[in-house]
Amino acid sequence: MSKTSRTLVTMPKVAAKGEVVAIRVIVQHDMESGFRHTQQGERIPRDIIREFVCTYNGQEVFRADLHPGVGANPVINFFTVATETGSLEFKWVGDNGYTSSVTSQLTVS
Amino acid sequence: MAMGAVGLAPLFATHATEDEALAAMKALMGTVAPRAGKVTLELPPLVENGNLVAIKVSVDSPMTAADHVKAIHLIAEGNPQPNIVSFFLGVRAGRADIGTRIRLANSQRVWAIAQMSDGTFWSGHADTLVTLAACTEVI
Repeated sequence: MSKTSRTLVTMPKVAAKGEVVAIRVIVQHDMESGFRHTQQGERIPRDIIREFVCTYNGQEVFRADLHPGVGANPVINFFTVATETGSLEFKWVGDNGYTSSVTSQLTVS
Repeated sequence: MAMGAVGLAPLFATHATEDEALAAMKALMGTVAPRAGKVTLELPPLVENGNLVAIKVSVDSPMTAADHVKAIHLIAEGNPQPNIVSFFLGVRAGRADIGTRIRLANSQRVWAIAQMSDGTFWSGHADTLVTLAACTEVI
């Protein structure tokens, strides 16, 4: 079963060449750790986002491996250098066929 | 907090110890020993809710092609699983400064290990007090 959810990416639309731009991404996900139990003592199976990748015009600039220790609705704040005008693709991959992706444009002057 | 005896036993058996955190670090670094410094970990000293703890990690690095941060790993000593998250950066990251939100199951020490482009590892840590623990609630 393929799943997806809402994502939100905050970053500037324009930047000077060589400028370090701040990127803030958030994705809606419960990040069920697999360590919780129901009142009947049954373990709730793990269901998390495992990987986040940011590619800039097809080239990977940032990647994160997520484990159950990451809180629900994972937020990641990071930076990248504005090298050229183009698109940044943000992609999340997780358990049970979860995928989300969003693309943002960055104009470099 | 209401907690069934059934859920209690496996719960605490799965908590990582300091040794397991060390083992997790060894798995990342191999035989190389980390040096203290360069890594700054910002964690609130007192956490009311361990389910969502804002954490900020930064590494003192010029981020040039010759000298940059390749990876930053966050390791918890008191969580069921020591690895929290690993970030992989490069020259194009521009700045080794990352913020995220993590879970903490206990009052504990959190480690950040930075892998540099020259193969060295640097570590930093922060201690925190957690009043409401994550992942112990029974639903």
